[in-house]
Amino acid sequence: MSGVTQFITSLGAAVVLPILIFVFAVILGQRPGRAFRSALLIGIGFVGIGLVINLLLEQLGPAAEGMAKRLQVDLTVIDVGWPSTSAIAFGSQVGAFVIPIGLAVNIVLLAVGLTRTLDIDLWNYWHIAFTGALVAIVTDSILWGFAAAAIHMVILLALADWSAPWIQKYYNFPGISLPHGTSAPYVFLAIPLNYLFDRIPKVRSWQADPEAIQRRFGIFGESIILGLVLGIILGILGGLPITGVLQLGINLAAVMLLLPRMVSILMEGLIPISEAARDFVQRRFPGRNLYIGLDSAIAVGAPAVIATALLMVPITLAIAVVLPGNRVLPFGDLATMPFIVCMMVPIFRGNIFRSVIAGAIAIAGGLYIATWISPTFTRAANNVNFEAPGNATQLSSLVDGANPVTGVFYGLAQFPLVGMPLLAVAALLFAWWVSRRQPEEPSPREGEPRPEEPEHAREEPQIQPGG
Amino acid sequence: MGGPKRILIVCGTGIATSTVVARKVEEYCREQGIEVIVDQAKVMETLRGVEDYDLVISTTQLPAGVDTPSVNGLPFLTGVGVDQALQEIKEKLSAS
Repeated sequence: MSGVTQFITSLGAAVVLPILIFVFAVILGQRPGRAFRSALLIGIGFVGIGLVINLLLEQLGPAAEGMAKRLQVDLTVIDVGWPSTSAIAFGSQVGAFVIPIGLAVNIVLLAVGLTRTLDIDLWNYWHIAFTGALVAIVTDSILWGFAAAAIHMVILLALADWSAPWIQKYYNFPGISLPHGTSAPYVFLAIPLNYLFDRIPKVRSWQADPEAIQRRFGIFGESIILGLVLGIILGILGGLPITGVLQLGINLAAVMLLLPRMVSILMEGLIPISEAARDFVQRRFPGRNLYIGLDSAIAVGAPAVIATALLMVPITLAIAVVLPGNRVLPFGDLATMPFIVCMMVPIFRGNIFRSVIAGAIAIAGGLYIATWISPTFTRAANNVNFEAPGNATQLSSLVDGANPVTGVFYGLAQFPLVGMPLLAVAALLFAWWVSRRQPEEPSPREGEPRPEEPEHAREEPQIQPGG
Repeated sequence: MGGPKRILIVCGTGIATSTVVARKVEEYCREQGIEVIVDQAKVMETLRGVEDYDLVISTTQLPAGVDTPSVNGLPFLTGVGVDQALQEIKEKLSAS
């Protein structure tokens, strides 16, 4: 028996995951030919991501270590970005079963009335697989990993329901909610912070113009330029020779472009199964007034989100350098800032000043979380054969490595017998509280767009009432 | 007229939701016999303009500076209103 397990482990995620996906897809009614092709694409995506991560670590590792030696700036935990994190999550043992687990939890909660969201964004089930994978490693038990993924799903659905009135109004997404593992947890931060801002005289009315910020900081949105410039700066700080500096610049620009491209292959492979699963679930709840749970990528285009995210790039780098005890070098997820802020922005009614402050708090706390979990993150990466050359370099990410919910799961997994049941009860109570307070037609509350303000993000929300 | 139409599919990541939309639009255009070249981009990348394209399909809000004809890509994600969106794509492509 252990021989079989060892055989499966030695095959690696790039082989095992396609086989599993093929089986799932056929069970869900896909034609074997189409299922085979998409399963194969998933394997190819995995191989591709592995190649690019190797390039990233091989290139950035020596510069980071050089920086640590020369300048005593110990940022040797490399942020490998969400493309890598999602692949690590789906490639884990928990990830292999995360789609049925997530769907089952969603269906049960809908059936008992604890959520109104039907999460059809199966790609983003990787977030719950990621916490599941970390918990499975810490507890050395795949069952705790499954439990963690299930509990995480409950939390995300409840957060999606809770934030839906703000999201729907600000972005004009009728009937949509965003049960997104990266974006949703920051709602916990934004709601009290907004309450606070509203009560500080003067600060209450501070604003910033998104169009001007887009014009002046637009360069931070060009990830290949960002990669090039960061590579050159890090190469110089790391004491590389001039040839090394220039090569690092080009190679990091390449990583910024190639890593997401590789994930899109993985993603394309998942489309048939995710459509089959969507139809399967939607057939089971016909005619019910549900929120359709989508990827928060659809919210990222709002001017206030873009402006906040652009400002967050230099702020994140600055925080990483000055924050005592931080060891994470932000890189891959500098391009993912919009996802960290996009569900806070509606709560701040599009106020960029408030959104940036909240983003900075989220990143400062998050860098400690990402540093803390990095040994386990590195092991999770090794489990799917993403490895750093040598062993001085560790891996982590901002999305979701720096996420507060990741931190909570990781902390409680240290004492799973107490921690996990506690978290399960808390998650269910939270879901119950949200489901009870949600009337059929949500009434305006603190923090929602006020009637006299433009409700629609397309209408330049920064124009002050009467101004 | 003449030559394939160029379509840019835009979303928050240039990967996640835009891949879903891109495959569907390609499939539809093939069925309709419309020759297209489909590219994907992050919304951040459209800040510098999208002049090279005949049509932009976005699952998220486009920056104010984008004045290329555009279609909302959300229906492809929710599954609600897909036929209407496809019709709109066809009309805007033949008008360009």
